[in-house]
Amino acid sequence: MPPSEVLHSLLDEAAAAHPEQLALSTTKDSWTYGDLAAASIGAAHQLRAAGVRRGDRVVITTPDPAAVAIALHAASRAGALFSVLHDQVRDHPLEHVLTDCEPTVMVTDDPGAAATAEVHGVRVLDPAALRRAAPTSEPLPEPLPVDGACLIYTSGTTSLPKAVVSTHQQMLFAARAIQSMLGYRADDVIYCPMPLSFDYGLYQLFLSFLAGARLHIGTVAEVGPPLLRSLESSGATVLASVPSVTDRLAWLVRRARSTPPLRLLTNTGAALDPGTVTALRAAIPTLSVQLMYGLTECKRTTIMPPDGDLDRPGSSGLALPGTEVFVVDDDGTRLPPGEVGEFVVRGPNVMAGYWRRPEQTAERFPRTGGLFPELRTGDYGWLDEDGYLYFSGRRDDLYKERGFRVSATEVESAARRVDGVIAAAVLAPGPRTANKAVLAVVTDLAPPDVLDNMRGLIEDYKIPQRCIPVEALPTNNNGKVDRHALADLINSPALATRKG
Amino acid sequence: MNRTDVTTALETALTTVLDRPVTGLEGETRLFDDLHLDSTTMLEMLMELEDSLGLEVDPEELEAEDFETVDTFTAFALAQLSNTQAA
Repeated sequence: MPPSEVLHSLLDEAAAAHPEQLALSTTKDSWTYGDLAAASIGAAHQLRAAGVRRGDRVVITTPDPAAVAIALHAASRAGALFSVLHDQVRDHPLEHVLTDCEPTVMVTDDPGAAATAEVHGVRVLDPAALRRAAPTSEPLPEPLPVDGACLIYTSGTTSLPKAVVSTHQQMLFAARAIQSMLGYRADDVIYCPMPLSFDYGLYQLFLSFLAGARLHIGTVAEVGPPLLRSLESSGATVLASVPSVTDRLAWLVRRARSTPPLRLLTNTGAALDPGTVTALRAAIPTLSVQLMYGLTECKRTTIMPPDGDLDRPGSSGLALPGTEVFVVDDDGTRLPPGEVGEFVVRGPNVMAGYWRRPEQTAERFPRTGGLFPELRTGDYGWLDEDGYLYFSGRRDDLYKERGFRVSATEVESAARRVDGVIAAAVLAPGPRTANKAVLAVVTDLAPPDVLDNMRGLIEDYKIPQRCIPVEALPTNNNGKVDRHALADLINSPALATRKG
Repeated sequence: MNRTDVTTALETALTTVLDRPVTGLEGETRLFDDLHLDSTTMLEMLMELEDSLGLEVDPEELEAEDFETVDTFTAFALAQLSNTQAA
Protein backbone atom coordinates (compact mmCIF):
# COMPACT_ATOMS: atom_id res chain seq x y z
CA MET A 1 0.00 0.00 0.00
CA PRO A 2 1.40 3.46 -0.86
CA PRO A 3 2.09 5.84 2.01
CA SER A 4 -0.95 7.75 3.12
CA GLU A 5 -0.99 11.19 1.51
CA VAL A 6 -3.46 12.90 3.79
CA LEU A 7 -2.63 15.55 6.35
CA HIS A 8 -3.44 13.56 9.50
CA SER A 9 -1.09 10.77 8.37
CA LEU A 10 1.78 12.92 9.73
CA LEU A 11 0.31 12.69 13.21
CA ASP A 12 -0.59 9.01 12.82
CA GLU A 13 2.90 8.08 11.63
CA ALA A 14 4.53 9.94 14.52
CA ALA A 15 2.06 8.40 16.99
CA ALA A 16 2.82 4.91 15.67
CA ALA A 17 6.59 5.48 15.89
CA HIS A 18 6.76 7.09 19.35
CA PRO A 19 3.41 7.31 21.10
CA GLU A 20 4.90 8.37 24.45
CA GLN A 21 6.91 11.27 23.05
CA LEU A 22 5.55 14.76 23.74
CA ALA A 23 4.07 16.34 20.63
CA LEU A 24 2.68 19.64 21.85
CA SER A 25 3.05 21.73 24.95
CA THR A 26 2.11 25.07 26.46
CA THR A 27 2.86 26.32 29.97
CA LYS A 28 -0.54 24.89 30.95
CA ASP A 29 -0.50 21.40 29.48
CA SER A 30 1.23 18.90 27.22
CA TRP A 31 0.16 16.10 24.91
CA THR A 32 1.95 12.99 23.73
CA TYR A 33 1.72 11.91 20.11
CA GLY A 34 -0.37 8.91 21.13
CA ASP A 35 -2.88 10.93 23.13
CA LEU A 36 -3.14 13.65 20.50
CA ALA A 37 -3.82 11.13 17.73
CA ALA A 38 -6.39 9.27 19.84
CA ALA A 39 -8.17 12.48 20.85
CA SER A 40 -8.36 13.62 17.23
CA ILE A 41 -10.01 10.34 16.23
CA GLY A 42 -12.61 10.76 18.95
CA ALA A 43 -13.11 14.37 17.92
CA ALA A 44 -13.55 13.32 14.28
CA HIS A 45 -16.47 11.15 15.34
CA GLN A 46 -17.92 14.12 17.23
CA LEU A 47 -17.67 16.23 14.09
CA ARG A 48 -19.43 13.45 12.11
CA ALA A 49 -22.13 13.28 14.75
CA ALA A 50 -22.56 17.05 14.45
CA GLY A 51 -23.26 16.62 10.74
CA VAL A 52 -19.81 17.28 9.23
CA ARG A 53 -19.35 15.44 5.93
CA ARG A 54 -16.59 15.31 3.29
CA GLY A 55 -16.00 18.71 1.74
CA ASP A 56 -17.75 20.59 4.58
CA ARG A 57 -15.97 23.37 6.43
CA VAL A 58 -15.05 23.50 10.12
CA VAL A 59 -14.02 26.84 11.60
CA ILE A 60 -11.83 26.69 14.70
CA THR A 61 -11.21 29.60 17.02
CA THR A 62 -9.86 29.06 20.51
CA PRO A 63 -6.73 30.24 22.32
CA ASP A 64 -6.05 26.61 23.37
CA PRO A 65 -3.41 25.22 20.95
CA ALA A 66 -4.10 21.57 21.87
CA ALA A 67 -7.79 22.01 21.10
CA VAL A 68 -6.85 23.58 17.74
CA ALA A 69 -4.51 20.68 16.93
CA ILE A 70 -7.15 18.10 17.88
CA ALA A 71 -9.95 19.87 16.02
CA LEU A 72 -8.00 20.40 12.80
CA HIS A 73 -6.85 16.79 12.68
CA ALA A 74 -10.41 15.72 13.42
CA ALA A 75 -11.62 17.80 10.48
CA SER A 76 -8.94 16.24 8.27
CA ARG A 77 -10.01 12.73 9.32
CA ALA A 78 -13.65 13.60 8.61
CA GLY A 79 -12.67 14.82 5.14
CA ALA A 80 -13.67 18.39 5.97
CA LEU A 81 -11.71 21.59 5.34
CA PHE A 82 -10.62 23.39 8.49
CA SER A 83 -9.98 27.08 8.98
CA VAL A 84 -8.21 28.26 12.12
CA LEU A 85 -9.06 31.85 13.01
CA HIS A 86 -7.19 34.15 15.36
CA ASP A 87 -9.20 34.69 18.52
CA GLN A 88 -9.42 38.39 17.65
CA VAL A 89 -11.49 37.55 14.57
CA ARG A 90 -14.93 38.50 15.90
CA ASP A 91 -17.93 40.59 14.97
CA HIS A 92 -17.75 41.80 11.36
CA PRO A 93 -14.60 39.87 10.39
CA LEU A 94 -16.08 36.66 11.83
CA GLU A 95 -19.40 37.21 10.06
CA HIS A 96 -17.48 37.62 6.83
CA VAL A 97 -15.77 34.24 7.30
CA LEU A 98 -19.02 32.49 8.23
CA THR A 99 -20.82 33.91 5.19
CA ASP A 100 -17.87 33.19 2.93
CA CYS A 101 -17.12 29.56 3.78
CA GLU A 102 -20.49 28.50 5.28
CA PRO A 103 -19.08 26.10 7.84
CA THR A 104 -21.14 23.23 9.25
CA VAL A 105 -19.48 23.53 12.65
CA MET A 106 -17.53 26.14 14.52
CA VAL A 107 -15.27 25.02 17.37
CA THR A 108 -15.07 27.87 19.85
CA ASP A 109 -15.07 28.64 23.56
CA ASP A 110 -15.75 32.34 23.05
CA PRO A 111 -19.38 33.17 23.96
CA GLY A 112 -19.47 36.13 21.56
CA ALA A 113 -18.14 34.06 18.65
CA ALA A 114 -20.58 31.26 19.52
CA ALA A 115 -23.48 33.72 19.46
CA THR A 116 -22.38 35.00 16.03
CA ALA A 117 -22.17 31.40 14.78
CA GLU A 118 -25.67 30.62 16.01
CA VAL A 119 -27.08 33.66 14.21
CA HIS A 120 -25.55 32.24 11.03
CA GLY A 121 -27.01 28.80 11.65
CA VAL A 122 -23.61 27.26 12.39
CA ARG A 123 -23.48 24.55 15.03
CA VAL A 124 -21.04 25.30 17.87
CA LEU A 125 -18.84 22.67 19.50
CA ASP A 126 -16.94 23.29 22.71
CA PRO A 127 -13.19 22.68 22.32
CA ALA A 128 -13.08 21.24 25.86
CA ALA A 129 -15.53 18.52 24.79
CA LEU A 130 -13.44 17.76 21.69
CA ARG A 131 -10.35 17.39 23.87
CA ARG A 132 -12.13 14.79 25.99
CA ALA A 133 -13.61 12.85 23.08
CA ALA A 134 -13.10 9.11 23.41
CA PRO A 135 -11.75 7.38 20.32
CA THR A 136 -13.84 4.65 18.72
CA SER A 137 -12.75 2.01 16.24
CA GLU A 138 -15.57 2.84 13.85
CA PRO A 139 -13.95 3.64 10.48
CA LEU A 140 -14.00 7.17 9.08
CA PRO A 141 -14.33 7.95 5.37
CA GLU A 142 -10.78 8.77 4.26
CA PRO A 143 -10.35 11.92 2.13
CA LEU A 144 -8.35 11.85 -1.09
CA PRO A 145 -4.94 13.53 -1.27
CA VAL A 146 -6.40 15.93 -3.85
CA ASP A 147 -9.27 16.96 -1.56
CA GLY A 148 -9.27 20.36 0.13
CA ALA A 149 -7.83 20.22 3.64
CA CYS A 150 -7.49 23.78 4.80
CA LEU A 151 -8.68 27.34 4.28
CA ILE A 152 -6.35 30.11 5.41
CA TYR A 153 -7.95 33.53 5.51
CA THR A 154 -5.54 36.15 4.43
CA SER A 155 -5.68 39.81 3.57
CA GLY A 156 -5.55 40.60 -0.09
CA THR A 157 -5.95 43.66 -2.23
CA THR A 158 -9.68 43.56 -1.65
CA SER A 159 -11.48 45.13 1.26
CA LEU A 160 -12.24 41.72 2.81
CA PRO A 161 -9.98 38.73 3.52
CA LYS A 162 -10.18 35.72 1.22
CA ALA A 163 -9.23 32.12 1.91
CA VAL A 164 -6.29 30.33 0.33
CA VAL A 165 -7.35 26.70 -0.20
CA SER A 166 -4.79 23.92 0.21
CA THR A 167 -5.21 20.24 -0.54
CA HIS A 168 -3.78 17.49 1.64
CA GLN A 169 -1.14 16.81 -1.00
CA GLN A 170 -0.07 20.45 -1.26
CA MET A 171 0.27 20.83 2.50
CA LEU A 172 2.23 17.59 2.85
CA PHE A 173 4.57 18.55 0.05
CA ALA A 174 5.21 22.00 1.53
CA ALA A 175 5.79 20.62 5.03
CA ARG A 176 8.22 17.93 3.82
CA ALA A 177 10.12 20.34 1.56
CA ILE A 178 10.51 22.85 4.40
CA GLN A 179 11.59 20.15 6.85
CA SER A 180 14.20 18.93 4.33
CA MET A 181 15.76 22.41 4.48
CA LEU A 182 15.41 23.04 8.22
CA GLY A 183 16.13 19.56 9.56
CA TYR A 184 14.21 19.69 12.83
CA ARG A 185 15.32 16.76 15.03
CA ALA A 186 13.45 14.33 17.27
CA ASP A 187 15.12 15.81 20.36
CA ASP A 188 14.25 19.40 19.41
CA VAL A 189 11.79 21.59 21.22
CA ILE A 190 10.42 24.03 18.68
CA TYR A 191 9.30 27.27 20.32
CA CYS A 192 6.56 28.97 18.36
CA PRO A 193 5.70 32.52 19.45
CA MET A 194 2.68 32.69 17.14
CA PRO A 195 -0.69 31.01 17.53
CA LEU A 196 -1.73 28.17 15.21
CA SER A 197 -4.10 30.57 13.43
CA PHE A 198 -1.08 31.89 11.54
CA ASP A 199 0.01 29.58 8.76
CA TYR A 200 3.52 30.00 10.15
CA GLY A 201 2.38 28.57 13.48
CA LEU A 202 0.17 25.95 11.85
CA TYR A 203 3.00 24.52 9.77
CA GLN A 204 5.28 24.34 12.82
CA LEU A 205 2.90 21.63 13.98
CA PHE A 206 3.46 19.56 10.83
CA LEU A 207 7.22 20.21 10.78
CA SER A 208 7.48 19.05 14.39
CA PHE A 209 5.43 15.94 13.61
CA LEU A 210 7.72 15.10 10.67
CA ALA A 211 10.72 15.25 13.00
CA GLY A 212 8.98 13.63 15.99
CA ALA A 213 9.90 16.77 17.93
CA ARG A 214 7.90 18.72 20.52
CA LEU A 215 6.22 21.97 19.58
CA HIS A 216 5.83 24.51 22.38
CA ILE A 217 3.44 27.38 21.78
CA GLY A 218 3.95 30.60 23.70
CA THR A 219 1.17 33.05 24.54
CA VAL A 220 1.34 36.69 23.54
CA ALA A 221 2.26 37.54 27.16
CA GLU A 222 4.97 34.88 27.37
CA VAL A 223 6.74 36.02 24.21
CA GLY A 224 6.82 39.67 25.26
CA PRO A 225 9.37 40.86 27.83
CA PRO A 226 9.51 37.39 29.50
CA LEU A 227 10.67 35.75 26.24
CA LEU A 228 14.05 34.61 27.59
CA ARG A 229 12.51 32.94 30.58
CA SER A 230 9.84 31.35 28.40
CA LEU A 231 12.49 29.89 26.10
CA GLU A 232 14.47 28.59 29.03
CA SER A 233 11.59 26.98 30.90
CA SER A 234 10.21 25.32 27.76
CA GLY A 235 13.61 23.81 26.95
CA ALA A 236 13.49 25.36 23.48
CA THR A 237 16.25 24.44 21.01
CA VAL A 238 14.64 26.05 17.95
CA LEU A 239 12.86 29.39 17.77
CA ALA A 240 10.47 29.78 14.83
CA SER A 241 10.66 33.53 14.77
CA VAL A 242 9.37 36.66 13.07
CA PRO A 243 11.24 39.99 13.00
CA SER A 244 9.51 41.54 16.02
CA VAL A 245 10.34 38.51 18.18
CA THR A 246 13.89 38.25 16.83
CA ASP A 247 14.50 41.93 17.62
CA ARG A 248 13.14 41.42 21.12
CA LEU A 249 15.36 38.39 21.68
CA ALA A 250 18.43 40.37 20.59
CA TRP A 251 17.54 43.19 23.00
CA LEU A 252 17.00 40.76 25.88
CA VAL A 253 20.14 38.62 25.41
CA ARG A 254 22.29 41.74 25.27
CA ARG A 255 21.54 42.33 28.94
CA ALA A 256 21.17 38.77 30.19
CA ARG A 257 23.72 36.85 32.26
CA SER A 258 23.06 33.54 30.57
CA THR A 259 21.64 32.81 27.14
CA PRO A 260 19.13 30.21 26.00
CA PRO A 261 20.62 27.02 24.47
CA LEU A 262 19.05 27.63 21.06
CA ARG A 263 20.63 25.80 18.16
CA LEU A 264 18.47 27.29 15.39
CA LEU A 265 16.52 30.46 14.75
CA THR A 266 14.36 30.64 11.66
CA ASN A 267 12.89 33.92 10.56
CA THR A 268 10.16 34.81 8.14
CA GLY A 269 7.71 37.66 7.66
CA ALA A 270 10.10 40.40 6.66
CA ALA A 271 13.78 41.19 6.43
CA LEU A 272 15.82 41.27 9.62
CA ASP A 273 18.17 44.04 10.57
CA PRO A 274 21.66 42.55 10.00
CA GLY A 275 22.75 44.12 13.31
CA THR A 276 20.13 42.05 15.12
CA VAL A 277 21.43 38.81 13.64
CA THR A 278 25.04 39.76 14.41
CA ALA A 279 24.13 40.51 18.02
CA LEU A 280 22.33 37.19 18.39
CA ARG A 281 25.20 35.21 16.92
CA ALA A 282 27.63 36.93 19.27
CA ALA A 283 25.45 36.28 22.32
CA ILE A 284 24.46 32.68 21.51
CA PRO A 285 27.50 30.84 20.08
CA THR A 286 25.48 27.66 19.40
CA LEU A 287 23.00 29.49 17.20
CA SER A 288 22.45 28.92 13.48
CA VAL A 289 20.16 31.28 11.58
CA GLN A 290 17.97 30.40 8.61
CA LEU A 291 16.15 33.23 6.84
CA MET A 292 13.07 32.44 4.81
CA TYR A 293 10.54 34.07 2.55
CA GLY A 294 7.11 33.03 1.40
CA LEU A 295 3.42 33.76 1.19
CA THR A 296 0.37 31.75 2.14
CA GLU A 297 -0.44 31.06 -1.53
CA CYS A 298 2.58 28.71 -1.74
CA LYS A 299 3.36 28.48 1.98
CA ARG A 300 7.11 28.98 1.63
CA THR A 301 9.04 30.16 -1.41
CA THR A 302 12.68 30.17 -0.38
CA ILE A 303 14.83 29.15 2.58
CA MET A 304 18.44 30.08 3.25
CA PRO A 305 20.85 27.27 4.13
CA PRO A 306 22.03 27.61 7.76
CA ASP A 307 23.96 30.88 8.17
CA GLY A 308 23.88 31.46 4.41
CA ASP A 309 23.13 35.11 5.16
CA LEU A 310 26.78 35.55 6.13
CA ASP A 311 27.85 34.82 2.54
CA ARG A 312 24.89 36.42 0.80
CA PRO A 313 23.65 39.29 2.93
CA GLY A 314 20.17 40.46 1.98
CA SER A 315 19.11 37.19 0.38
CA SER A 316 16.19 35.02 1.53
CA GLY A 317 17.65 31.83 0.12
CA LEU A 318 16.86 29.21 -2.50
CA ALA A 319 13.57 27.83 -3.81
CA LEU A 320 12.25 24.82 -1.89
CA PRO A 321 13.59 21.52 -3.28
CA GLY A 322 11.30 20.35 -6.08
CA THR A 323 10.03 23.85 -6.82
CA GLU A 324 11.09 26.75 -8.96
CA VAL A 325 11.05 30.52 -8.49
CA PHE A 326 11.78 32.91 -11.32
CA VAL A 327 11.40 36.58 -12.14
CA VAL A 328 9.21 38.02 -14.88
CA ASP A 329 8.62 41.49 -16.30
CA ASP A 330 5.19 43.11 -16.71
CA ASP A 331 4.55 41.07 -19.88
CA GLY A 332 5.34 37.79 -18.15
CA THR A 333 8.71 37.34 -19.91
CA ARG A 334 11.38 35.65 -17.81
CA LEU A 335 14.18 37.99 -16.74
CA PRO A 336 17.87 37.09 -16.36
CA PRO A 337 19.68 37.12 -12.97
CA GLY A 338 20.11 40.54 -11.46
CA GLU A 339 17.04 42.10 -13.04
CA VAL A 340 14.13 43.16 -10.86
CA GLY A 341 10.65 41.86 -11.62
CA GLU A 342 7.80 39.87 -10.12
CA PHE A 343 8.51 36.50 -8.51
CA VAL A 344 6.64 33.56 -10.01
CA VAL A 345 6.55 30.20 -8.23
CA ARG A 346 6.00 26.76 -9.77
CA GLY A 347 5.80 23.48 -7.95
CA PRO A 348 3.62 21.26 -5.79
CA ASN A 349 3.70 23.95 -3.08
CA VAL A 350 1.51 26.26 -5.19
CA MET A 351 -1.86 25.98 -3.47
CA ALA A 352 -5.24 25.38 -5.12
CA GLY A 353 -6.43 29.00 -5.23
CA TYR A 354 -8.86 31.27 -3.42
CA TRP A 355 -12.12 29.93 -2.01
CA ARG A 356 -15.01 30.93 -4.26
CA ARG A 357 -12.98 33.67 -6.00
CA PRO A 358 -12.57 32.42 -9.57
CA GLU A 359 -11.44 35.78 -10.95
CA GLN A 360 -8.79 36.39 -8.32
CA THR A 361 -7.69 32.76 -8.56
CA ALA A 362 -7.27 33.09 -12.33
CA GLU A 363 -5.28 36.29 -11.85
CA ARG A 364 -2.88 35.00 -9.17
CA PHE A 365 -2.80 31.32 -10.10
CA PRO A 366 -2.76 31.47 -13.92
CA ARG A 367 -2.21 28.30 -15.96
CA THR A 368 0.44 28.42 -18.64
CA GLY A 369 -0.96 27.03 -21.86
CA GLY A 370 -4.24 26.80 -20.01
CA LEU A 371 -2.87 23.78 -18.14
CA PHE A 372 0.02 24.21 -15.77
CA PRO A 373 -0.56 26.27 -12.65
CA GLU A 374 1.91 28.85 -11.39
CA LEU A 375 1.72 31.54 -8.75
CA ARG A 376 2.10 35.22 -9.51
CA THR A 377 3.26 36.32 -6.09
CA GLY A 378 2.82 40.08 -6.41
CA ASP A 379 6.22 40.31 -4.73
CA TYR A 380 9.15 41.97 -6.45
CA GLY A 381 12.88 41.41 -6.42
CA TRP A 382 15.66 39.57 -8.21
CA LEU A 383 17.68 36.37 -8.25
CA ASP A 384 21.46 36.09 -8.36
CA GLU A 385 23.39 33.78 -10.73
CA ASP A 386 23.01 30.88 -8.30
CA GLY A 387 19.27 31.31 -7.83
CA TYR A 388 19.36 33.06 -4.44
CA LEU A 389 16.37 35.32 -4.01
CA TYR A 390 16.51 38.98 -3.00
CA PHE A 391 13.18 40.50 -2.01
CA SER A 392 12.58 44.21 -2.74
CA GLY A 393 8.92 44.84 -2.07
CA ARG A 394 5.32 44.37 -3.05
CA ARG A 395 3.43 45.71 -6.00
CA ASP A 396 0.15 46.12 -4.18
CA ASP A 397 -0.84 47.52 -0.85
CA LEU A 398 -0.06 44.59 1.43
CA TYR A 399 2.34 45.00 4.30
CA LYS A 400 3.48 43.03 7.31
CA GLU A 401 3.24 44.42 10.78
CA ARG A 402 4.01 42.49 13.97
CA GLY A 403 3.99 39.32 11.86
CA PHE A 404 0.49 39.89 10.48
CA ARG A 405 -0.21 40.35 6.80
CA VAL A 406 -2.33 43.48 6.51
CA SER A 407 -4.06 45.05 3.53
CA ALA A 408 -4.05 48.85 3.46
CA THR A 409 -7.29 48.69 1.43
CA GLU A 410 -8.98 46.70 4.15
CA VAL A 411 -7.81 49.06 6.92
CA GLU A 412 -8.84 52.12 4.93
CA SER A 413 -12.28 50.72 4.21
CA ALA A 414 -12.81 49.99 7.92
CA ALA A 415 -11.70 53.52 8.85
CA ARG A 416 -14.12 55.03 6.34
CA ARG A 417 -16.96 53.06 7.92
CA VAL A 418 -16.42 54.97 11.18
CA ASP A 419 -19.05 57.70 11.51
CA GLY A 420 -17.41 61.08 11.05
CA VAL A 421 -14.45 59.86 8.98
CA ILE A 422 -14.53 61.51 5.55
CA ALA A 423 -11.42 59.97 4.03
CA ALA A 424 -8.65 57.65 5.18
CA ALA A 425 -5.32 56.38 3.89
CA VAL A 426 -2.74 54.06 5.38
CA LEU A 427 1.00 54.42 5.09
CA ALA A 428 2.69 51.02 5.34
CA PRO A 429 5.48 50.60 7.90
CA GLY A 430 8.75 51.90 6.51
CA PRO A 431 11.63 54.28 7.12
CA ARG A 432 9.38 57.34 6.88
CA THR A 433 6.88 56.03 9.43
CA ALA A 434 9.31 54.75 12.08
CA ASN A 435 8.46 51.23 10.82
CA LYS A 436 4.88 51.46 12.06
CA ALA A 437 1.74 51.70 9.96
CA VAL A 438 0.12 55.14 10.13
CA LEU A 439 -3.52 55.90 9.48
CA ALA A 440 -4.16 59.38 8.07
CA VAL A 441 -7.78 60.53 8.35
CA VAL A 442 -9.85 63.50 7.36
CA THR A 443 -12.21 63.91 10.31
CA ASP A 444 -13.31 66.06 13.21
CA LEU A 445 -13.02 63.11 15.58
CA ALA A 446 -10.09 62.77 17.96
CA PRO A 447 -7.58 60.22 16.61
CA PRO A 448 -7.98 57.77 19.54
CA ASP A 449 -11.75 57.76 18.92
CA VAL A 450 -11.22 56.86 15.27
CA LEU A 451 -9.07 53.90 16.31
CA ASP A 452 -11.50 52.84 19.05
CA ASN A 453 -14.44 52.95 16.66
CA MET A 454 -12.58 50.71 14.22
CA ARG A 455 -12.60 47.89 16.78
CA GLY A 456 -15.17 45.31 15.78
CA LEU A 457 -14.96 46.40 12.13
CA ILE A 458 -11.61 44.70 11.62
CA GLU A 459 -9.35 42.67 13.87
CA ASP A 460 -7.54 44.68 16.55
CA TYR A 461 -4.13 43.68 15.22
CA LYS A 462 -4.89 45.28 11.86
CA ILE A 463 -5.66 48.66 13.42
CA PRO A 464 -2.64 50.96 13.14
CA GLN A 465 -1.39 52.29 16.46
CA ARG A 466 -0.88 55.75 15.07
CA CYS A 467 -3.68 57.87 13.68
CA ILE A 468 -3.01 61.36 12.35
CA PRO A 469 -5.70 63.84 11.28
CA VAL A 470 -5.00 65.74 8.06
CA GLU A 471 -6.92 68.52 6.30
CA ALA A 472 -7.11 66.52 3.08
CA LEU A 473 -5.41 63.51 1.51
CA PRO A 474 -2.95 64.57 -1.19
CA THR A 475 -3.77 62.93 -4.53
CA ASN A 476 -1.77 62.37 -7.70
CA ASN A 477 -2.86 62.94 -11.31
CA ASN A 478 -4.86 59.71 -11.37
CA GLY A 479 -6.89 60.85 -8.39
CA LYS A 480 -5.27 58.21 -6.19
CA VAL A 481 -3.77 58.98 -2.80
CA ASP A 482 -0.19 60.19 -3.24
CA ARG A 483 1.54 58.26 -0.47
CA HIS A 484 4.86 60.06 -0.90
CA ALA A 485 3.17 63.44 -0.47
CA LEU A 486 1.20 62.03 2.45
CA ALA A 487 4.42 60.89 4.13
CA ASP A 488 5.82 64.40 3.60
CA LEU A 489 2.69 65.84 5.14
CA ILE A 490 2.66 63.69 8.28
CA ASN A 491 6.37 64.31 8.78
CA SER A 492 5.99 68.08 8.41
CA PRO A 493 6.85 70.17 11.49
CA ALA A 494 3.52 72.03 11.29
CA LEU A 495 1.59 68.84 11.80
CA ALA A 496 3.94 67.65 14.52
CA THR A 497 3.23 70.74 16.62
CA ARG A 498 -0.48 70.45 15.99
CA LYS A 499 -0.38 66.87 17.16
CA GLY A 500 1.51 67.76 20.37
CA MET B 1 8.72 56.03 44.96
CA ASN B 2 5.15 54.81 45.52
CA ARG B 3 2.30 53.29 43.55
CA THR B 4 1.03 56.64 42.33
CA ASP B 5 4.46 57.59 40.99
CA VAL B 6 4.73 54.31 39.14
CA THR B 7 1.20 54.58 37.76
CA THR B 8 1.87 58.11 36.54
CA ALA B 9 5.11 56.98 34.89
CA LEU B 10 3.21 54.08 33.35
CA GLU B 11 0.61 56.46 31.90
CA THR B 12 3.35 58.61 30.41
CA ALA B 13 5.14 55.57 28.97
CA LEU B 14 1.93 54.19 27.47
CA THR B 15 1.05 57.58 25.99
CA THR B 16 4.39 57.52 24.17
CA VAL B 17 4.25 53.88 23.12
CA LEU B 18 0.64 53.86 21.97
CA ASP B 19 0.82 57.39 20.57
CA ARG B 20 -2.44 58.39 22.22
CA PRO B 21 -3.25 59.92 25.60
CA VAL B 22 -3.48 57.29 28.35
CA THR B 23 -4.77 58.62 31.69
CA GLY B 24 -6.78 57.48 34.69
CA LEU B 25 -5.47 53.91 34.74
CA GLU B 26 -7.30 51.66 37.18
CA GLY B 27 -5.61 48.82 39.01
CA GLU B 28 -7.68 46.17 37.30
CA THR B 29 -7.03 47.54 33.80
CA ARG B 30 -5.65 44.65 31.73
CA LEU B 31 -2.63 45.53 29.66
CA PHE B 32 -3.41 43.24 26.70
CA ASP B 33 -7.20 43.12 26.60
CA ASP B 34 -8.10 46.64 27.71
CA LEU B 35 -5.13 48.72 26.56
CA HIS B 36 -4.50 46.61 23.45
CA LEU B 37 -0.78 46.30 24.10
CA ASP B 38 0.95 43.47 22.29
CA SER B 39 4.20 41.66 22.98
CA THR B 40 6.17 44.34 21.10
CA THR B 41 4.58 47.41 22.70
CA MET B 42 4.90 45.70 26.08
CA LEU B 43 8.67 45.71 25.72
CA GLU B 44 8.64 49.29 24.46
CA MET B 45 6.70 50.26 27.57
CA LEU B 46 9.31 48.59 29.72
CA MET B 47 12.11 50.41 27.91
CA GLU B 48 10.34 53.76 28.46
CA LEU B 49 10.08 53.00 32.18
CA GLU B 50 13.75 52.10 32.37
CA ASP B 51 14.45 55.62 31.18
CA SER B 52 11.86 57.43 33.27
CA LEU B 53 11.97 55.51 36.56
CA GLY B 54 15.51 54.15 36.43
CA LEU B 55 13.94 50.70 36.53
CA GLU B 56 16.53 48.03 35.84
CA VAL B 57 14.95 44.79 34.80
CA ASP B 58 16.68 41.46 34.69
CA PRO B 59 15.45 39.79 31.50
CA GLU B 60 15.72 36.39 33.13
CA GLU B 61 13.42 37.36 35.99
CA LEU B 62 10.50 38.66 33.92
CA GLU B 63 7.31 36.62 34.17
CA ALA B 64 4.17 36.75 32.07
CA GLU B 65 2.00 37.18 35.21
CA ASP B 66 3.66 40.52 35.97
CA PHE B 67 2.27 41.96 32.75
CA GLU B 68 -1.39 41.11 33.25
CA THR B 69 -2.89 44.21 34.84
CA VAL B 70 -1.83 47.66 35.96
CA ASP B 71 -1.80 46.32 39.55
CA THR B 72 0.42 43.32 38.85
CA PHE B 73 2.79 45.41 36.80
CA THR B 74 2.98 48.19 39.38
CA ALA B 75 3.76 45.65 42.11
CA PHE B 76 6.47 44.15 39.92
CA ALA B 77 7.99 47.58 39.14
CA LEU B 78 8.01 48.61 42.82
CA ALA B 79 9.70 45.34 43.79
CA GLN B 80 12.34 45.82 41.09
CA LEU B 81 12.92 49.42 42.16
CA SER B 82 13.43 48.48 45.79
CA ASN B 83 15.86 45.72 44.73
CA THR B 84 17.82 48.20 42.67
CA GLN B 85 18.04 50.62 45.59
CA ALA B 86 19.03 47.87 48.01
CA ALA B 87 21.76 46.57 45.70
